[in-house]
Amino acid sequence: MTMGRPQMVSRDFPGTLEAASEAEAWLMSQSGALGLAPDAEFAINLCVEELFLNAVWHGRANRAKISISSESGGVRVEFVDDGAPFDPIAAPARRIRARNEDFQIGGYGTGLLQKFSRRISYNRDDGHNRLVLEFDANAG
Amino acid sequence: MEMKVSEGADGVTSIMLDGRFDIAGAQQVDAQFNAVAERSKALIIDLTKVSFIASLGVRTLMMSAKSLIRRGGEMAVCGANENVEKVLRMTGFNEVAGIYPDYFSAADALRARAAEFGSRKA
Repeated sequence: MTMGRPQMVSRDFPGTLEAASEAEAWLMSQSGALGLAPDAEFAINLCVEELFLNAVWHGRANRAKISISSESGGVRVEFVDDGAPFDPIAAPARRIRARNEDFQIGGYGTGLLQKFSRRISYNRDDGHNRLVLEFDANAG
Repeated sequence: MEMKVSEGADGVTSIMLDGRFDIAGAQQVDAQFNAVAERSKALIIDLTKVSFIASLGVRTLMMSAKSLIRRGGEMAVCGANENVEKVLRMTGFNEVAGIYPDYFSAADALRARAAEFGSRKA
């Protein structure tokens, strides 16, 4: 991180799937200021989209707050929502293992979160899901 | 996200996608995508102009692949950038459809599979 870049940016979003697109646009607008490499931007966008899906689709959240901070050698993203309790670390990471007519569709988001972030932690705090994800600054 | 469909004389249908295959992108193309998959036997998805994909985009691809497999058809994708291909492989999409660097290698592979299937039936 160079001098002059903001150390942290954050924004509130409504609990709608449309807001995921708003969050993507916001993240991309902050990418330069935060010094994100393209691979890191891809990984953060991917994970934030999966978190929105979990919060809105499954958890019926009304609001979500995203905070991003640049730290030495990495980027920290905090995602807080007021939806039903959901710990993506404890959920099974689904992946298609073989070709057949009845393979199960869906449930890939949890695995993508785990694979595209360097570290992920979860806690339920005062009626909110609080997820903290860490990324390498240069790579996905 | 924009979607263009073309039918080849060799029976291969291709879908060219342009944009971000995110929640909004998947919602935009999902119905048309599935309709094309349901009437195709060999389908190539060209991802050359897709800069981003998330799980809902993968879900749209998987639904179409399943529809084709159930009818004895084949799907292939081509032109995926490094991160898009990484997402496809991490979800296991490569188990149900071939991933190729460009349209021509994907088309060659689908034609070879169709010929192999035809000779087995004969």
